[in-house]
Amino acid sequence: MILTGSQIKRSVEQGDIVIDPFDECQINPNSYNYRLGSKLIYPDGNEHPFDEDGVMLSQGTLVLGATYEIIGSRKYAMSLIGRSSVGRLGLFLQVSANLGHTGSCHRWTLEIFAAKSIRIYPHMEIGQISFWRNNGAHRLYVGKYATKNVPQTSLLER
Amino acid sequence: MILTGPEIIVQKRRGRIWIDPFDSEMVTTNSYDLTLGGQFLTYRDEVLDVRKKPKYNMSEFSQGTTVHIPKGGFMLGHSSEKIGSDHHVPLIHARSGVARLGLFVHVTADLIDIGSYGNITFQLFAARAIDLCVGMRIAQVSFWMSEGEKELYDGKYQGSQGPVASMISQDIKS
Repeated sequence: MILTGSQIKRSVEQGDIVIDPFDECQINPNSYNYRLGSKLIYPDGNEHPFDEDGVMLSQGTLVLGATYEIIGSRKYAMSLIGRSSVGRLGLFLQVSANLGHTGSCHRWTLEIFAAKSIRIYPHMEIGQISFWRNNGAHRLYVGKYATKNVPQTSLLER
Repeated sequence: MILTGPEIIVQKRRGRIWIDPFDSEMVTTNSYDLTLGGQFLTYRDEVLDVRKKPKYNMSEFSQGTTVHIPKGGFMLGHSSEKIGSDHHVPLIHARSGVARLGLFVHVTADLIDIGSYGNITFQLFAARAIDLCVGMRIAQVSFWMSEGEKELYDGKYQGSQGPVASMISQDIKS
C-alpha cells in the first residue's frame, strides 16, 4: 500500500518518516516533493560549481546530485522518482534505481540525466518520493550508501 | 497492494476506476494496456529552463501512421485513453516489449496522483532510433491501494487532453 499525503504528514509527526526540513506545502496526494541540493558531481568525481544562477546540463549529460532534505524511514520502503513537470522536460532523476530501502536515512543521491539541454536551480522542487507499507519482518538497510549525505559516486568497484 | 486484472475490471464496473474507452481485451494480469494517441509535442527551445515557459510545436497523425524518434530523441505523446481514480493510485509503465527496444514512456515520473483524470502524457525518450505506430499498445497502467485519508488531486494538469507541456515555470518559487 502506498501512503496518501495526509498519512505521510502523520508519519512525519509520529517519527516513522524523517523529512528534514519538512514543509507541508511540498505534500502531494501520494508523495512528497523533494528539493535539489546545491552540489553536483560528475561520475568521475569532479565537482561542478552550482549557485543561484543555476546550471545548464547539456543534452545527454549524466551528473549526480542529492536531495536538499534528509529523507528516510525505519518503517516504510520508499520510491524516489521525478515530478511529471520535470519528466515532461526530459530530465531523469534516477536511472531505473527508484527503490529506497527501509532503514536508509540521508540526502539521496540523484542520477540526473538530461534528454534535452536544460537549466536547473538549487533548492528547486525537482522530484518526489513515495512511501510504501512493508509486508514481513524488517531487516533494516545498513549498506554502504545508507547514511551518505553528499552526491555519492558509485562504490561498485570497492 | 497492486490490483489484479480481474479486480481492475470489477473496480471499473463499480465506477472506482475510470478508463475511457475501456476494452476488457486490454486487461493484463496486473495492469491495463494503453495505446499511443495521434498528437505529439516537441520543444523548440535550444535549452529548456525550468523558470521559463517552454516553446513547442504540436503535430497530429492519423491511426496507423509511423512516427520516427531518432536515437536520443525526446518528445511528448499521449494515451488514447483517459484514465483516473479517486480510490487507487495509477502507476505508468512501458510494455516490456517496448522497453526491450530502448523506449522510455516516462522520464522517472510514473506516479499519477489519486484524483487526477485525463489523457496520460507520455515522456518518450528513445535510447535508440525507433519507429512507433499511432494506435499501438505502448504502455500499461497499474493500480495500487493506498493507506490513509485521501486528498484528491486538483492540480494544473487536471483534465489533460493530448500531450501537455511542462507547466513547472508556474510554480518555481526559488
